[in-house]
Amino acid sequence: MRKRESSWGILSKLIITFSFIIVAAPLLWVLLASFKTGSDLNDPTLVTFTPTSENWKKVFSSGIFQSAGRSAFVGVITVAISIVLGSMGAYSISRYKTGKSLTRFGILAAQVLPPAVLVFPFLDLAYRLRLSDTLVAVIAAHLSFVLPVVTWFLIGFFDAAPKEVEEQALVDGLDRFAAFRKVVLPQVAPGMGAAAIFGFVLSWNDLFYALILAPGNAATLPVRIAGFNTFRGVELGAMCAAILVSVVPVLIASFFIQRRLVRGISGGAVKF
Amino acid sequence: MRKTGIRRSLLAAGVVLIMGIITACGGSSSSSSGSGKISADTAGTLRVLMEGVPDTDIVKGLLADFNKDFPKIDVQIEPIAYDQIRDKLVASFQASKPTYDIAIIDNPWVGDFARAGFLKPLDDLVNSTEGYDYEDFSAPLRSIGEVDGKIYGIPFYNYGLGLIYRTDLFTEARLSEPASLDDLEAAAKKLNSGLRSGIAMQPQRGYKAFEEWGNYLFAAGGSVYGSDGKVNLSTPEAKKALETYIAMFKSSAPKNSLNWAFDEALRAVSSDKAAMMVSYNWMLPTLNKVGGSAGALAGKFKLATMPGGKQVLGSWDWAIPANSKVSDAAWAFISWLTSKAGETARVSAGGAPVRTSVFSDSAVSNTGGGADYYATVAKILGNSEPMCLGSNCDEMINAVGTELNAAIAGKKSVDAALRDATTKANKIQSK
Amino acid sequence: MSFRIRMILPLIATFVAAVGYPLFYSFYLSLTSYKITQRWDSHFVGLNQYRDVFANSDYWSAMKVTGLFVVIGVFLELSLGLAIALSLQRQKRFRDFTRSFLLSPMFITPIAVGLMFRFLLNQQLGAIPTILDKVGFSYDFFGSGNALFTMIMIDTWQWTPFMVLLILAGLESLSKQPFEAARVDGAKPFYTFRRITIPMLAPILTVAILIRSLDALKVFEYVYATTRGGPGIETQTIQYFTYQTGIQYYRLGNASAMAYLLLIIVMIIVVVLFKQIEKTRRL
Repeated sequence: MRKRESSWGILSKLIITFSFIIVAAPLLWVLLASFKTGSDLNDPTLVTFTPTSENWKKVFSSGIFQSAGRSAFVGVITVAISIVLGSMGAYSISRYKTGKSLTRFGILAAQVLPPAVLVFPFLDLAYRLRLSDTLVAVIAAHLSFVLPVVTWFLIGFFDAAPKEVEEQALVDGLDRFAAFRKVVLPQVAPGMGAAAIFGFVLSWNDLFYALILAPGNAATLPVRIAGFNTFRGVELGAMCAAILVSVVPVLIASFFIQRRLVRGISGGAVKF
Repeated sequence: MRKTGIRRSLLAAGVVLIMGIITACGGSSSSSSGSGKISADTAGTLRVLMEGVPDTDIVKGLLADFNKDFPKIDVQIEPIAYDQIRDKLVASFQASKPTYDIAIIDNPWVGDFARAGFLKPLDDLVNSTEGYDYEDFSAPLRSIGEVDGKIYGIPFYNYGLGLIYRTDLFTEARLSEPASLDDLEAAAKKLNSGLRSGIAMQPQRGYKAFEEWGNYLFAAGGSVYGSDGKVNLSTPEAKKALETYIAMFKSSAPKNSLNWAFDEALRAVSSDKAAMMVSYNWMLPTLNKVGGSAGALAGKFKLATMPGGKQVLGSWDWAIPANSKVSDAAWAFISWLTSKAGETARVSAGGAPVRTSVFSDSAVSNTGGGADYYATVAKILGNSEPMCLGSNCDEMINAVGTELNAAIAGKKSVDAALRDATTKANKIQSK
Repeated sequence: MSFRIRMILPLIATFVAAVGYPLFYSFYLSLTSYKITQRWDSHFVGLNQYRDVFANSDYWSAMKVTGLFVVIGVFLELSLGLAIALSLQRQKRFRDFTRSFLLSPMFITPIAVGLMFRFLLNQQLGAIPTILDKVGFSYDFFGSGNALFTMIMIDTWQWTPFMVLLILAGLESLSKQPFEAARVDGAKPFYTFRRITIPMLAPILTVAILIRSLDALKVFEYVYATTRGGPGIETQTIQYFTYQTGIQYYRLGNASAMAYLLLIIVMIIVVVLFKQIEKTRRL
């Protein structure tokens, strides 16, 4: 018994170490590359070299922080709208079986269509509403894939939340919206956090819509990173620095929120 | 009462502002799209979409000089990623109020954009501008900007290809510049060693495969279009070119390089892992730059024409969108920058030349790549051809490039690939 | 208006604007001959575009490529995700650090991941082939027969963390009682895993697989950054093909038909699977 326990323990440690290396190796390469000069970059195994700050200077002067700010802005607004509307709708779907499976299929359908096809209607709409070259168009497009996913997550959380407490609240004289707001929502708060983070990641990573809908002088972070892939070649060093700029804040944030994230999702017991 | 006062003065200010805008616009559009010199009073704001590459920085550097001649034109350059340019332009072309007043367009787009009515024909402007000398642009470059007998694009910078090789290795192996496709193959084989490959190739599916192989096709004496104006790649020349290409890829290219494109080839050459490559002519000064990406190899590279002298040509062109509201100001800027004086200034700053007269300009040949380099560039621009002319070029290039890549990967025979490429290309171009 | 309707109305309104509008617009386009560069020539063509797509062998080969990509990719991500999540659950020290670090790949924009691997896996410039070379091993990551698998590996690198996240959450929500009972009964670990862990995780695994599959269906960036669909059309995915047709070649009507045909096929698969799941759940 004891022996078997420890062999499983060893295996699990091996798995963690191995996956840690698999994740870390490319990121380490990115880190090194961001300090290499153009000619040093061509030697893949070069570990000792004179670091240069050129790439970082280039990235910092390229407006990367404004781009990060824009991406964060788009992500936050998209997620905020999705959470507010999604939680209300998901509550209705979960408690009152509104629309039954039709709603769920509608939500799914939105996930299947290629952005290459959907982007054009967005572009057209933006022109009609005179919103082209504003971030509004990008937020609308991001809503098209964040809203369904968030709503879907939330339906599961509401399904799992016990009904007794809110029934008690209704008996105590709260109206139904107040009961939803004051009693039900706090119960699913961790799950909402999880859904919000996942939605944010989707928006934060999106290149396709932002590329075509966002104005060039107001590029989001992925667009800025893709911009280092030029007609005259990929500016690898600068791109690596830019990747780090995009990853580090999310990494730090995830260090603080992942425990809550895991608990949030498990609290909701995501299911159909 | 006080509130109304404020509101009224705001309103008044608004009206003045709008009137100001109207007069500004009126001013620009009424000012002579007629004859002779362009008035220095031409006014307007020009929003230009450009890629964030050195050529754009060079143009930016010339803006101050431009504003000395045209103080009332405000040029706003928006740097952007390559992947974005075309989609943003198409979006702007379709709007009633354009986002961009000048467009730079890549050569495969010219035919489609012109025939879609997105661009203004420039013939009248070109002909009425004193001393412009349109004929001075290299003939193959001019043909790229002309569609159905009208001028839609003015050459901005060329990206004609050529053979870039290491002089030290050529001397060591006692090789001279290859005069035929067989010479090139033999040279690549001879230079191929355990240390470095003979030639870095770019067989990536689509654009790249066709762009590179097109040079082999011309070197074998072939052409993309037959005398009837239709694509014909089922020719002995095309077969010879593809067979040689595949043989060279197998014997002398870096191993496992089937998906290589421009970047990989450039990096292989600049890090001493390949002795030659077929690439854009303006890569030479970049490679030879002291302290540049080639490190200690700087100065050891040389540019040659393809064996046989003819190569594939590409170019970026200036164009004025049909929906531009400030086309006079746009033309003032384009014609200033592409005039002989503008060309000299741009090329001296490191831009890729488009006018033939610039090569005899001593101010130019003493800078950048040197006289030798510019002599070769002149030869390249004098004898080159784009991969595709007419409609649906992006699709046609991709279709041919897919077939070529399949043949290089060994998934299709040379004959079948060339036959399918011909059929597909003709079907696409006739759509 | 009843409470339930009032609650769902804002969601539906936004949904109609943000999803319904583009959905219907592109459906309409799929029935026309719309081409971006020939807009004046756009007219109703009925189901002609669909007929075209049906007859297009490249479309079906792109379907096959995408299908392989999704099935193999999601299977790998699921298996690895399970193994990693189970291991992480046992971990005692550096929990927060390990977990957040292992999640990091999914925070990088996919185009950057694609470009990163394009150079990492490059024969002359990349670290991985160089290391393989030193141990006398040569493998063409983007060669014929291998390229699609390389795409799958890239996807696995980036998205296994998503599986880990969901499975870990599922594991921590499981009630401890059945495991205790199994331990008391002296059940072997593999038996416990197969008979207790997996069935109890089933609901969350279904969600994870479905979300991931739908997302993997949209693979575009890796292809764009590395092979552009080659060798030949080996890695031409449905997304890349639709992008080329609709945006690069301007034939938006045709691309919309491709998208709708894909939607119909995927929906049929999802409905069949749903029915299957419902059935097993009722048993």
